[in-house]
Amino acid sequence: MLIFAASDKGGTGRSVTGANLAYRRALAGDHVCYLDFDFGSPTAAAVFDVLDARAAAEDRGLHAYLAGEAGEPARIDVWARTEHPVLRDLPPGTGRLELFPGDLSGGEFAATGENLHRCVDLLLRLDGEYDLILVDLSAGRSYAVDMVLAATARPEMRAVVSRWLVFHRWTRQHVTAAAHLAFGPRGIVAGGVARGHDEDALRAGVRFVRSGVPDLESPLWSQVTPTQSAWMRRTDEDLRQLASVLGAGHRTVLGTVPLDPVLQWREQLITDEDVVVSQIANRETWEALGELAHRLTDDKCWEQA
Amino acid sequence: MTAPEPPARPVLVCGEVRTGLLPSLHALDVRAATQLLRLRSDDHVLVSERPVPRVLSPEILTGVDCPLPAAGGARNRAVGTVAARAALTSGRVLQTTAYVSLPATGPDARRPWGQYLVRPGLAEPFGRLPVRAVAEGVLRGARRGELDLGIIAENLSARLVRHPLLDHRTPFKSRRTRMRWVARRVPEGDKAALERFTLAEDGLRTVELRLPDGVAAAAAAGMCEDLALHDWLLTTLAHMLDDSRLAAADGPAAVLALRPAVDHLLHLWMPRAHVDRSLTAVWDALEEAPGFTRQWQTQVQRIRDQLALQAIPLLHRALSPS
Repeated sequence: MLIFAASDKGGTGRSVTGANLAYRRALAGDHVCYLDFDFGSPTAAAVFDVLDARAAAEDRGLHAYLAGEAGEPARIDVWARTEHPVLRDLPPGTGRLELFPGDLSGGEFAATGENLHRCVDLLLRLDGEYDLILVDLSAGRSYAVDMVLAATARPEMRAVVSRWLVFHRWTRQHVTAAAHLAFGPRGIVAGGVARGHDEDALRAGVRFVRSGVPDLESPLWSQVTPTQSAWMRRTDEDLRQLASVLGAGHRTVLGTVPLDPVLQWREQLITDEDVVVSQIANRETWEALGELAHRLTDDKCWEQA
Repeated sequence: MTAPEPPARPVLVCGEVRTGLLPSLHALDVRAATQLLRLRSDDHVLVSERPVPRVLSPEILTGVDCPLPAAGGARNRAVGTVAARAALTSGRVLQTTAYVSLPATGPDARRPWGQYLVRPGLAEPFGRLPVRAVAEGVLRGARRGELDLGIIAENLSARLVRHPLLDHRTPFKSRRTRMRWVARRVPEGDKAALERFTLAEDGLRTVELRLPDGVAAAAAAGMCEDLALHDWLLTTLAHMLDDSRLAAADGPAAVLALRPAVDHLLHLWMPRAHVDRSLTAVWDALEEAPGFTRQWQTQVQRIRDQLALQAIPLLHRALSPS
């Protein structure tokens, strides 16, 4: 299965949440790969803590592969190459987790012809190898988005299930921008239809992920004044209504990731050690990520919204 | 006009094989396989039905004029053609190979293109070929701009996989392997031998052979395909056993996870079946150490034992008076 992680704006936690989802699925026994299609600013190597391995693969990243400059894109075995101490100590039954890094440099290129062929070849090949392929796309309606829309519209890709996650923060601007990215006139669905996708099928495969959402019931906010509390609740409700009007309401939401400083500032994988031993991360975050990871393949969550 | 000087005797043959599961829910029958592998309309697809069905495509040529990969930075340009072909075993395992023969020396200037075309699968160096450096370079892998047999094999594989005959619904997840090989020519009458076989990370294998003059380069390619096929079978079955967590998990789930092995893989083990007779001795070395067939049989026996154990409670229930 292919999971495309998209967002309209930066700072939505798309890469770090996506990486955490890949990590959690691998822990659960799936063979997972993470493709860094964020060509302008590849971040995945930092999230997985494999910077040295990343540097070794300097000119053989996904960009070089798609442009026809490398025969085989570099892949990094995260478990073997990570500097993160916890990630090197794995429970039995853990699946493979591999990173296909982006290139540090690399301009735009056309999502047509040979480049598109290579993209299709790669996705097909990886689908035969991995249970889950998570593709991190650069923010906005980028050429990476165009390329995977064109690739998944190809007839040889019809047996491969693909799903879209649109990440956004819980603010008016972010909600509006995310809904536009998904369903707007220049959005993912419209762009897909223009490339031969069936509108209903594509639309049914799009879900939103709200990140950095304050949980108003959490003890974190229990000390605020009654006025502040009332205001927060009203704003939260307003945002829900806005999302619903724009087509990003709760039935199209796959999950919510709470506001957690560890996720925001460290921008790395949250391990059970962070929750249980050092206790710097919130259990709610750990659980939310686990639930979201589970829902990626839970068909009940992907029935017609 | 004088006749062109014939090329010198090849001293090195290099190749790369990609091996993987055909992305199709069902194995292709021989007719469909023949259709898939008809890479050229002017040449036949070879079909051998026994002991295990194998379909071999005609060879296609890729013209090359580029530096050879060489250890130690020795630059050496070569011009000629690389041969590529595809094989499908039992309608299930797809292999693509690209290979090229390299003579010891070549002219200092490029010949007219027609002279290269009449010697398919041969690339001539400019001047002397640094044999050892090129052999090491090929096994290490080409850098950007160098002759990359892997790309040629990969392109052929991608072209086949895009064929509308294939539905891309694989019965189980598996990894492909890449095998890079070099065969150094030895005088006719000397024995063919496997000098080195190594497993590297990321599904990469490297092979070094000694190949007597008089044995065709295509025979060496066939030998390496057979080796790569059986190495892939062993690797894939080992991964399946790992994934099934037979040791940890109990009950039918673990055994069910092994079912694709029974359906698709166990009957494919047939080493040497399609290897040229002059090269079958190479296999004997592998059977002695590490003992390919011994390892395969152990794994197969493990799967069969597990299936038998799972069947006992069912049998018991069926026989006990209700």
